[in-house]
Amino acid sequence: MGCARDIVEHCGVARFLWSDFPLGNSAGRPGDEESQRATLDMALTLLERAWAPRTTVQSPLRWNGAPDWKDDFLKIELTPEEAERRRAAFEDQKAVARARKTAGEC
Amino acid sequence: MYDEPIRYMERTRSYYAALGYPDAYRWAHHDDAPFAPLSMPLRETKVALITTAAPFQPELGDQGPWAEYNAAAKFHSVYSKPANELPDLRISHVGYDRKHTSAEDMRTWFPLAALWRETSSGRVGSIAARFHGVPTTRSQRQTTEIDAPEVLARCREDGVDAAVLVPV
Repeated sequence: MGCARDIVEHCGVARFLWSDFPLGNSAGRPGDEESQRATLDMALTLLERAWAPRTTVQSPLRWNGAPDWKDDFLKIELTPEEAERRRAAFEDQKAVARARKTAGEC
Repeated sequence: MYDEPIRYMERTRSYYAALGYPDAYRWAHHDDAPFAPLSMPLRETKVALITTAAPFQPELGDQGPWAEYNAAAKFHSVYSKPANELPDLRISHVGYDRKHTSAEDMRTWFPLAALWRETSSGRVGSIAARFHGVPTTRSQRQTTEIDAPEVLARCREDGVDAAVLVPV
């Protein structure tokens, strides 16, 4: 169950229920128990009925938040300060990964 | 209004290029995708949930709704928790759409309660004793050689027939 169609299909999985929602909502819309029930229901139906790998089913549910969420997400607008903060966070992550690799943890 | 599937890989390349890392990432790709049909009706199947969400750790900073990206909240090895009680899982350690996703409702990334209802109704046979959390890491080697085999081993210990992966 996921929201990033291209990434999951590029990887190659057995079955994929794709919800065209903002990232973070793979299992349904917030505060909407019926959409969450329906999303899992579709995933279970896919589990039962798919007959070949790389089967993607697109959920028919639509995001009920801001209609321009995709246009918004595609914009990358970073102030110089925010870009620097994120670069620093990225470098920290790389340092952690290097340390773990050196320690034989990965 | 843009209504095609978002090209996340392209968007991610653009994002890292904007930070000064033009060749930041190579996405996982496999020529062969695994597949096995269910060998029994779903109503007899034991299902496990697998997530990339992280257990809440209050000492690690803001992990709540609308939290900024919090790398300190990342976990680095597979964890498992009982599936008969609702955990407190957060997603602040993951890159997601922070403008349009409030991250207030855990059920949007972790459908355990919904899965309980599916077993109560008899649609799903049972839920595995544990659910499992998989680290989000840039190392594909870690995922394929360490984390995935560990999750598989734990699923086999629990007699799992099918797993539902719900990455954030």
